[in-house]
Amino acid sequence: MNPVLSVWNLIATYVFLPTDLIIQWVSDFFNTTMDILLHLPQYAMEFLTVNAKPILQITILPGLAWVIVYAIIAVWFERKFLARAMLRVGPYYCGGKAGWLQLIADFMKLFFKEIIIPRDVNWLFFLAMPVLLPSVPALAVILIPFDTHWVLWDVGGIGLPIFFAIAGIAPLIPIFTGWASKNKYTFIGAWRVAYMYISAEIPMVICGAAVAIMTGSFNLVEIVKAQQNMWFFVPQFIGFVVFFLGVFIQSERTPFDIPGAETEIVLGWRTEYSGVLYGFVMFTEYVMLQAWALLFLTLYMGGYNGPVLFGAATASHIFWMVLKFVTLVTLVILCRCVFPRLRMDQMLKLGWYYLTPLAILNLIVTLALKLMGVF
Amino acid sequence: MSRVPESEFVEVMKAAYGDKIKSAEVLRSKRASVLVKRETIIEVAEALRDEFGFTIPVSGGAIDYPKEERMQMMYYLMHPEERFILIYRVDLPREDLRLPTLTQVWEAMSFHEREAHDMFGIEFEGHPNMIPLLLPPDWKGGHPLRKDFKGEGVAE
Amino acid sequence: MSEPEIVPDIMRISWGPQHPMSGQTRILLDLDGEKVHRIIADLGFTHRGIEKILENRTFLQGIVPIERMVMADTPNIGICYIKAIEEAMGVEVPERANWIRSLVCEMARINSHLYAFGLQAESTGYFPAVFLWTTVDRAWILQLFAELTGARWSLNFFLPGGVYKDLPEGFENKVIEGVHYLRRRFQKYWDAMVENYTFEMRCDDVAILKPEDAIRLGATGPVLRGSRVAIDVRKDEPYAAYRDLDFEVITEDACDSMARTKVRFREIVQSLNMMEQIAKEIPDGPVRTRVPFFARPKAGEYLSRVETARGELGVHLFTDGGMNPYRVKINSPTLRNMYVFERLAELDEILMADIPVVINSIDPWYLDSDR
Repeated sequence: MNPVLSVWNLIATYVFLPTDLIIQWVSDFFNTTMDILLHLPQYAMEFLTVNAKPILQITILPGLAWVIVYAIIAVWFERKFLARAMLRVGPYYCGGKAGWLQLIADFMKLFFKEIIIPRDVNWLFFLAMPVLLPSVPALAVILIPFDTHWVLWDVGGIGLPIFFAIAGIAPLIPIFTGWASKNKYTFIGAWRVAYMYISAEIPMVICGAAVAIMTGSFNLVEIVKAQQNMWFFVPQFIGFVVFFLGVFIQSERTPFDIPGAETEIVLGWRTEYSGVLYGFVMFTEYVMLQAWALLFLTLYMGGYNGPVLFGAATASHIFWMVLKFVTLVTLVILCRCVFPRLRMDQMLKLGWYYLTPLAILNLIVTLALKLMGVF
Repeated sequence: MSRVPESEFVEVMKAAYGDKIKSAEVLRSKRASVLVKRETIIEVAEALRDEFGFTIPVSGGAIDYPKEERMQMMYYLMHPEERFILIYRVDLPREDLRLPTLTQVWEAMSFHEREAHDMFGIEFEGHPNMIPLLLPPDWKGGHPLRKDFKGEGVAE
Repeated sequence: MSEPEIVPDIMRISWGPQHPMSGQTRILLDLDGEKVHRIIADLGFTHRGIEKILENRTFLQGIVPIERMVMADTPNIGICYIKAIEEAMGVEVPERANWIRSLVCEMARINSHLYAFGLQAESTGYFPAVFLWTTVDRAWILQLFAELTGARWSLNFFLPGGVYKDLPEGFENKVIEGVHYLRRRFQKYWDAMVENYTFEMRCDDVAILKPEDAIRLGATGPVLRGSRVAIDVRKDEPYAAYRDLDFEVITEDACDSMARTKVRFREIVQSLNMMEQIAKEIPDGPVRTRVPFFARPKAGEYLSRVETARGELGVHLFTDGGMNPYRVKINSPTLRNMYVFERLAELDEILMADIPVVINSIDPWYLDSDR
């Protein structure tokens, strides 16, 4: 054995060969990257033209822009409307006499404020929950159809149960938040949330089941199509009333904003948040209202049905949906100026003694009508 | 208005309880005053409430007479029908400021006795809840409404 | 703090000074779920030592600090101290001054009751709507005060011997105009808010205080009159012009928070009637009897009582012949009512959601109980 040859073998195996491989890998990498970069515009155009409609839906309607712009306009409208009812003017200085820039100013202010985290708090939950809070109801918003083929999340026929499943998760997040904030007031807010949501959700699910029975399908598009001749609030009048009250309860609006009752428990489960997290938490209230209001419109008020304007079917369906939604939100905001807040035990009595039996009655009436072949 | 309930009351009081009180007098219309001895304060108070009908406790306070070396604790009572005020007083020597509590007769005197304790240093024996009412709980100064209070407090 | 101990399974909440609805005090609530087990009132946050201050001021100087006891109806407090000084000095007040004093006192009573009503509606969650309506309506009263005395809230308009100066020209007509305006608004308030179904749901049968308990625990003012007991200092010991004005003592039968709120509301109507009567029938004459600036009344003790908006205020003045009072003992209405509030948890079942409603039906003003 030649010792020089064996040493040369060793060097070749452990030094030259790996180096060679490395140089080859690096040059391969550069080649591929340059290839992609040069062809990038072509790839992007292909991507966009194939996925045009979903992108439009995700970013604009009913996706990101819809939710955010609605929240901004709703907050501005609520502040002006409430102010007029209270003999005040509302936002007046930002953006001319109407004050429409006030919202942008407030949101920017929240960005620059300090996020205060109390010392003993469960910081993982504390920071994670405000991100989840608007996301979960927004997930429910994207199930709603704005036209026959304009559904962002097309679950293919089980839209209604999936909506209720997401709505079942929704109360858990304020409960976690209230617990994680380590404060007696937020703890009270958390258990109030638990009581209130459970007592309201059961009648609403039963009403939803009645609508599904009347249609014969769980698909939200089918439900809207079945209302082309007569909106469902006529045959299901009891369910209409129960669900309408449920919309108020589930989105924590006056007269049912008990978990966030400012005069009693500061801000309830939202007390400890400041800065951007506070912005998220306040944003949630409007997203929840939007989710439940849209479902209410779909189930009882004909969804996107309406006379076709100027022959453009898709655009006019979207227009009718938005118009109905704006009317409903105005009505909800009006109720805020007029009613005081109910007490917890009065609200529970309402939910368990009145809403649940009425919902079951509604279900029985629907079954009877269906079996008798009226619908 | 020929009947003057205050003087009628003072007459009956002097006749029935003359030995247990030091004096009873009418100050002006609708104001009467009874000065009682410290030993018989509870007995006379119960008589005032049950027999004479002074069921409304109005207030209570004290006053400091350093020159005469005494303090006087006053309780204000009102009669619901006759509507005149009775000032029920007791003299305490400045070295020995103890008094049995009148919350056993009129429950609402609790707050007023706590205040007299804070401001003057009068000890009420048997008071259910003797914690500072108006002063902070870590007050280490003197008793503010005494005449020899120099303005000391929690100086930090 | 050396508080009573906490029983296991009970959660103690500090309805503390840092709370939207607590006012300037701390109330400790022992909660068992939503039910309130015990209430402990922790007063003394605004203790300023007014009684000690008054011992170091002359009689005329002392009128200013004592009016700061309750900011909403300052004339009623000023008149109590001034009556005691006038009794000590033996000063006779002219007739017209008495009528002007009654006018200003009744306007302040309306101011205070409207404020209390706004707070009561806000505590049920009405969001500030009703409170802002009452603020707008109180504005004309405060405007009239500003024209008459130069100040809106703490007037310092009364002096021993009368009032500071006469009513300006046309003041009576403005008063009558304002009375008619507020009568129309009052009907709106009654229909839209007091007879509101949800407001009744929140306030009916909440914290019932029976008449025997109200008397035994020393309640005063609308708290006492809302429990069927008709005691009012303006009828028992008429002062200022109340002997000549016709009004009634308002009581309610229901004994709950709604009754106390309604008593305040109907007292506003009585005050409006009195204001109209004064504006029409006020006699002419001088408005002030001159009193020496550094007065030295003779030694003695003088107790004067007045009905403020919150209840009966007493000022017991001890003089020793010097320029300053020897001692001023103030019997505050809110201190009496706070004791009633502490015992309400034992008398009736109160839920935590009722606490703001109950507090505002008792209408405390903590500067008054702390002095």
